[in-house]
Formats: sequence, C-alpha cells, structure tokens
Amino acid sequence: MAILNRIESAIDESIGRRRLGYALLGLIILFFLWFPNDASQSNYAKTVFISGFFYAIMSSSWALLAGIAGQFSFGHMAFMGIGAYVAGLVARDGIVFASLGIGITAESFSAIGTIIIGTLIAGLVGLVIGWLLLRLRSAYLALFTIAFSELFRIMMLTEYDYTGGSNGLSLRPLLQIADIDAARQVEYYLMFALLIVCLLAMYWVANSPIGLFLRAMREDEDAASALGVNVVRYKILVFVFTSMIVGLAGAIFYSDVGSERIIPEQLEVLQMSLIIAYAVIGGMESLIGAAAGAFISRYLLEAMREVVISLPLGLTLPDGSDAFVWETGAWRFAVFGVVMVFTLRYMRNGLLYPIITWFSGRDLAMQETVAKRDDDDDLDEQAGASDE
Amino acid sequence: MSDINLLLNRVSKRFGGNQAVDHVSFSVTKPELIGMIGPNGAGKTTLTNLMSGMLKPTTGTIYLNGRRIDGHPAYDVTRAGLGRTFQITRALGRMTVLENMMVPGLAHRPRARRLDLEERAHEILGLLTIDHLTNEYSRALSGGQRKLLELGRLLMLEPSVIILDEPFAGVHPRLQETIYQYIHRVHEDGKAIILISHDMDAVFELSHRLLVLHHGALIADGAPQAVRSDPAVIEAYLGHDEDD
Ligand SMILES: Nc1ncnc2c1ncn2[C@@H]1O[C@H](COP(=O)(O)OP(=O)(O)O)[C@@H](O)[C@H]1O
Ligand SMILES: [Mg+2]
Repeated sequence: MAILNRIESAIDESIGRRRLGYALLGLIILFFLWFPNDASQSNYAKTVFISGFFYAIMSSSWALLAGIAGQFSFGHMAFMGIGAYVAGLVARDGIVFASLGIGITAESFSAIGTIIIGTLIAGLVGLVIGWLLLRLRSAYLALFTIAFSELFRIMMLTEYDYTGGSNGLSLRPLLQIADIDAARQVEYYLMFALLIVCLLAMYWVANSPIGLFLRAMREDEDAASALGVNVVRYKILVFVFTSMIVGLAGAIFYSDVGSERIIPEQLEVLQMSLIIAYAVIGGMESLIGAAAGAFISRYLLEAMREVVISLPLGLTLPDGSDAFVWETGAWRFAVFGVVMVFTLRYMRNGLLYPIITWFSGRDLAMQETVAKRDDDDDLDEQAGASDE
Repeated sequence: MSDINLLLNRVSKRFGGNQAVDHVSFSVTKPELIGMIGPNGAGKTTLTNLMSGMLKPTTGTIYLNGRRIDGHPAYDVTRAGLGRTFQITRALGRMTVLENMMVPGLAHRPRARRLDLEERAHEILGLLTIDHLTNEYSRALSGGQRKLLELGRLLMLEPSVIILDEPFAGVHPRLQETIYQYIHRVHEDGKAIILISHDMDAVFELSHRLLVLHHGALIADGAPQAVRSDPAVIEAYLGHDEDD
C-alpha cells in the first residue's frame, strides 16, 4: 500500500492525474483508429464495434438527458427511430405538402439530405415532447415517455403501407462502396467519428454554464428557478439537443452504415431499457462513462453468445472434441441484469466512476468531507415547520 | 446603491377555502431592515412565494423597481432584483459549494469571466465562514452550513431586495451569530432585507420596521416599539398557542 501511495503522490506532483487521464484517452482513441487496420480482425468484429459506437452515442446522450439534466426519459429510442424513419420515408416518398400543392420528389434528396431532415424532425418532436413534459416530474415523466415511445412503435408497426411494418424500412444508403471490406472500413470510421463529434458537442454543453444550469435543474427545479435559471428554456433545450443527436445517429446508422433497415422491434421498451442499463453501469452522470459502459456492454454481450471452455489435460468430450461449448443465449442478459443490480446497489455512480474520478483528481478535493459533517453539530432539520 | 422599490397592492392567495394571504399591501422604498412576523400558518412563507414568483396571486399586483412581477416566473423575478431563501434549505446537493454559488453567478452575469465570479464566490464564502468547504458537495454540509450557503448564493445575484424565510430556525447559536453579521453587512451594502420569523423576539432587536401577519392579513406595519404595544398584535400572539 505504501508503495501505491508513493506512486500516487509522485504522479500528482510530476505529471498530474488529469494529464495521465488524457494520455490514456489518447491511447484508447489510437487503438480504435488502428483497430480496423489489423488484418486479423474479421468484418464481424468491426460490425460489433460499429454497433458499439452507435450504442455509445445512445447511452451517453441519455446520460446527458437523465444523469446530468435529471430528465429520466424512456423516449430516447423513439427519437432515434424518428430520425431513421423520417430519413427513410423522405428517401422513398419525398416530401409533399398536399394542401399547398408543393412537392419535392424523393430523387432530389441525397442520402445526406434525408439524414438532415430526419435529424431536424427528431429535434422538432423533441421540442414538442419537452414542452409537454414541462410540468411532469420523475415517475410521471418516465410513464409519459414510455407511452409516447410505445405509441410511436405501434404506429410504425401498424401503418405498414408506409413504414414496412415489422419488415422495417430501408433508408437511402449513405456510402456506396462496392467492396465489402473497404465499405466496412469506412463505415467503422464514420461511426467512430460520429461518436467523437457527439461526445465533443455534449461535453462542450456539459462544461458550459448550460451544463451547470442543467445540473441545478436536476437537483431542484424550484431552487434553480429562484437562483435565476430559466428552467423551462433549459428543459426544452436539453430535449431538443439530445433528440437531435440520437435522431442523427439513428438516421446515419440505419442508412446502411451499421444496419440496412430500421425495424419497430428496435424501438421496444426492452431495447430502451438496455440503453439505460449501459449508462447506469458506466456512470449516468459521466458522458464518457456512459459511452464506455455501452461499448463494453455491447462487446461483452456479443462475446458471451457462446462460451467455449477448453478441457484440460487432453481430455475429450464423448464426441471427440476437446472443448465444451456453452450456448449462453438469454443467460448473458441474466448476467448483465446481475451486474446492473450490483451497480445500483453498491456503485450508484457506475462501475467506471472510481477510475474517472481518480483521473480527474476530484477525490483529492473531496477527501475531508466526512470529517467536517459533525463539526457544527447544530440542531438543524429539527425545525420541521412545513414549507409552502 | 441601487434604487429600491417593492410595491404590493392588495395581494391575496387562496388555497381552496383557505385564505392564506389576505389583501396584503405594503411597500419598501429604501434599504431597510424589515422584520416580518406572525404565528405559524399566518401566511409568511406563502407571501414570500408570491413575491418571489413561486406562486401566482389570486388577486392583487406586485411591482419591483418599476416592473410588474406578480405571476412572472421565479427566474424573471430574481433577475428583476429580488432574492429569497427557503425556510427548508434547498442546497443543490450533488453539486459542490462553489458550483452552488456559480449557478446564480452565471445566471445573473452570463457574460462575466468565470474566474471573476469564482473570486467573488470565494469572498462571500469567506464572509460566511464556509470558505473551507468550497469543493465539498453541498449535501455533505450540515443544515446550518447549508443555510449559510443559501445566504451566500443570494449575494451572487446582487439583488436589491432580499427575503430571508426563517433564517435562524434550527441553526446552531454560533452560526446564528454569523447570520446576524451577514444581515448587518448586506444592509450596510444598501439592500432592503425582509427577515421572516414566527418568533417576535428574534427579529425585534434587528429590525427598523415590523410587519405583522395574522391569518393572512397584515395587521400591523410600523416601528418595532409601536407594533409591540399594538393591542391587535398582542391579541394575535397571546390568542395563539405557539408550538415552538
Ligand atoms: N401549497 C399550499 N396548498 C394549500 N395550502 C397551503 C399551501 N401552502 C400554504 N398553505 C396554507 O396557507 C397557510 C399559510 O401557510 P404559510 O405561508 O406556510 O405560513 P407561515 O409561513 O406564516 O407559517 C397555512 O394555513 C397553510 O396550511
Ligand atoms: Mg413559513
């Protein structure tokens, strides 16, 4: 232990934890940049990573909405779906304002055009939902957004003439690269770049005064308001901002980058719950924590599809093979559930929180907290006269 | 010194059949130290909520520095120059003490340099003797320290009128002393202070003027000595069983 402490203090003095953290982050980014160039990696592995990046965007933006701004929404997947479905519909049918007699044909939209429109509509719906949610708190907000999300999913399922129903809807392919290997490579970098851009944008917001106001709103809306924070404005703003991020991510991911079609099944409450679970495991109040939580969870869930246990000492199974293959199937989700329960019970800030705090050096400033609590042992909270 | 002009004109608030605030009129036009007293349930907190924009009056109007503020959202009233604390403290728990100060700081002066605001925050926290807690999460503070933090946050808003709802209730005597000093300083700074308490003795010494609420109505408004010997006030206090 003494050695560890000495290493720690040496690091604090010479390099600084923060810089060490940035260096580590740099290495991780380098790894991701290098990964698809590793010839031994299959296209399947790259696909897993691409979907990992997508879920990292979903969970980190949910962390901004729920963990930082305190809006525990279940509508996140629906906003993603709006981005994707709108892009797909525009790509197929164009835009028609029947009453005005104006129409823009589908052909006149590029894939990027459809993605932009999908993103904007997701933001617009975010504006409306944010406004409708203004007076709802905690459980009511969750219930409302579940209802909204289910309503959207069922609409997509039943209006199959337009949406393709359970078969889903394909969007206009964003990249048109014939060679599969080359295509996968570009898709990988595109999704990774999108993740980085989204994280940067969200960190910029979180570290600006807006981020401070969002957290104040999360802690106590009335107090924040009394301190001069326009709670209505920031609540709507965070809904619009995160809706646009996931709308964009959805429209790009399903434009044949990560998946060739959006299906209503993707919008089920279970899928939304997974997004939340990833964020909780990684750390709801940390964007990078939630992103890492999602990526690692996706990766492990994939890796655990099949567990291969090699037999020792040259033993063989009756069929002559030397390994036991366990088809984990749904069991991996059970393991995942246990991890989530453990996190909520013992590490409310997420499994990655200790690491992130250590690198930020925040724990240094906090060390004395416990001692000071009893310093001024006043009679507080006893005067329980009711407020309001 | 900023100009001060708070004007309440026949302000009322009903909760169902309960007339919590009953046609209250008064004005504050100079940096006074005003005590607002009344037994528990007299309507002091409700009146504070009406003035600070947390509640909308059933009838009546409120003007602050020439702007009509009744029914305006709380943040707007705050920006117009009225700051308040809460009877039950409302620290932003999972934010540090400094962040608690920076929220009103940046809300009030969005264009200021963060460093300047932080410097000002440190200064105020020093005045309140809680500068050693700057980087603590405010939920780790004792109740008394949280009250001090609320008082500090107010100053970041540079308000012209401050309403303190029961600032001494349940606070350790040592911290109460700090609160007294705070009140004097803020008053010398040229701000009007409305000091709310259900306990007449607590504010009697401090105030230049007393407002007395009873069953939602303002039954006295004047110099402390005169108010104290007012038969209606004596009746209101003696005719009531005080619970603390
Ligand atoms: N939100 C509310 N809804 C209904 N009644 C309320 C509400 N707030 C206060 N009251 C009632 O208004 C009256 C005045 O309360 P309050 O303003 O808290 O008094 P004080 O602060 O002087 O002790 C009380 O009868 C109280 O029960
Ligand atoms: Mg009260």
